[in-house]
Amino acid sequence: MTEAEKETAKTAPDLAALEQEGEVAADYIEGLLDIADIDGDIDMDVEGDRAVVSVVDVKGGDLVGANGEVLEAIQELTRLAVHRQTGQRSRLMLDIGGYRDRRRTELRDLGTKVAADVKRSGEPKALQPMTPFERKIVHDAVAAAGLRSESEGEEPRRFVVVLPA
Amino acid sequence: MLEEALEHLVKGIVEHSDDVQVHARRIRSGRVLEVRVHPDDLGKVIGRGGRTAKALRTVMNALGDGKYVRVDLLDLNEAR
Repeated sequence: MTEAEKETAKTAPDLAALEQEGEVAADYIEGLLDIADIDGDIDMDVEGDRAVVSVVDVKGGDLVGANGEVLEAIQELTRLAVHRQTGQRSRLMLDIGGYRDRRRTELRDLGTKVAADVKRSGEPKALQPMTPFERKIVHDAVAAAGLRSESEGEEPRRFVVVLPA
Repeated sequence: MLEEALEHLVKGIVEHSDDVQVHARRIRSGRVLEVRVHPDDLGKVIGRGGRTAKALRTVMNALGDGKYVRVDLLDLNEAR
């Protein structure tokens, strides 16, 4: 193996491993849906270096909860189930009923709007506490608008601060 | 249904899944689900800073139709 190949082997996501993560996660979640008598189809995908499992066409039950707290809890447990089966730490992303896509759009809009406000006022602005997934979207939107932002505080109350130029 | 759901969630994350037992009882304000696991798995179901216990409680309360659900995590040999 050349040095370049070694580098690729180290950084390229292991597609087979990510697909296996998706399989384990799908079994775990499907079991929960069956028991709770909630209908839904499970889609599996790989986005970049992480497995994504989405429950779509959900009928019955609320598995998202206020601010996605139930979704985050199920994702956390699912990652542990994957870790038990594969021995590998998982960064798997779970979505239920399109919640993450909706949230992504909302947060992107929020980041853009707050960046505009901060440009106008020249004052830093702190946002509500958010999950790491949510903060990342806001940081990206702020960066796209040409400003910088930072995260402050401790989980689970960590929040984004948008800084003036 | 709640006992079965909790049993499924816990069995999926522990090493000794055959040792997982869930018992339900009623209390005045709702229900108690008592989970017993192998002593080696107790730390796993509680998680760092109680993270995993909190996740289990969040999911069980979401499935509980608005009624309070308490989740107690115990070692298999613990007397009650």
